[in-house]
Amino acid sequence: MKAFFLSLLLFTATAQASQALIEFQNPEQQALFKELTQELRCPKCQNQNIADSNAVVAVDMRNKTLELVQQGQDKEQVLEYMKSRYGDFVHYQPPLNKFTLILWLLPALMAFGLVLVLLLRRKAERTAVAMESGDKAQPPQQLEKQLDQLIEQYRRKS
Amino acid sequence: MRKLAFFIPFVLFIGLSVFLFSGLFSDPMERESSVLNKALPAFSLPDLQQPDNLWTADKLKGKPYLLNVWGTWCVTCNAELAYLTELREQGVMIVGLYYQQPSDAAFGEVFNLAALQQEVALKLEQQGDPYQWNILDKDRSLIFDLGVTGAPETFLIDAKGMIRYHHIGDINPQVWQQKLAAAYQSLEE
Repeated sequence: MKAFFLSLLLFTATAQASQALIEFQNPEQQALFKELTQELRCPKCQNQNIADSNAVVAVDMRNKTLELVQQGQDKEQVLEYMKSRYGDFVHYQPPLNKFTLILWLLPALMAFGLVLVLLLRRKAERTAVAMESGDKAQPPQQLEKQLDQLIEQYRRKS
Repeated sequence: MRKLAFFIPFVLFIGLSVFLFSGLFSDPMERESSVLNKALPAFSLPDLQQPDNLWTADKLKGKPYLLNVWGTWCVTCNAELAYLTELREQGVMIVGLYYQQPSDAAFGEVFNLAALQQEVALKLEQQGDPYQWNILDKDRSLIFDLGVTGAPETFLIDAKGMIRYHHIGDINPQVWQQKLAAAYQSLEE
């Protein structure tokens, strides 16, 4: 059984090796290409990056990214190239503008609200404790009586 | 204050419900094209049937038209050919931008222009021919510059070569009436 699984592993290794190899002039370009293809989003098969997808448009974008990286363009230039064609949608990091402002503001607002609620609750608890300790000075005899009556009632029933 | 706080979860729940409910009817493919209200990108691509004839952005100026991205391999494109032909008969100018899919070398596929020309001619003979002419974008370069994600997609371009409207998906009588007709007619005047 073990041998079978090991042979499966071997098989996947050869399957991967059959993909076309890309040669880079230097490791920086290789790293940039890898980073970009993981950050750029496939506009056709949404929620996949272009490294992941084999849709025609994703393959084209991958080839274009490679071409631009090999021309020596930096990350911002490549992103700008893609965004000017496929929109902000194509990058997984949305820019800060009037449409996306809420993405940044909402978590801060929620944290602020949470702190506010906690503070108000603590204050309310404190006043409640203060009131309770004030009541304890004089035990309500009437309540005690009522309780005794109730206990008596249930005893009779059972 | 206490009573008000009592309603907060309810209000949050209603808000979330409305947000999620509206999500059921939104189209995630719908987003504004980033080439809208910009000039058609510069290109020089051959005519599909007469490859010696090169089309450029300048050559297409002078009259508003629809630039329809399509391919014979695309089922939805074939379905819209009949209605687009009807539109051509009504006097709408439609130019085809042929979306050639990459040939898969691993399967021994090689691009064959003569075979493609035949295939396209046959298809248009069968389904109707809405196109004044077809531009062949073999490497999808203009298609890439236009931010096209697939086929069919249609751009409405004015007489000065500015992109005025972008539609993803097929054009049928409903889409034409609701989205494109008014925009096209305002450009005609």
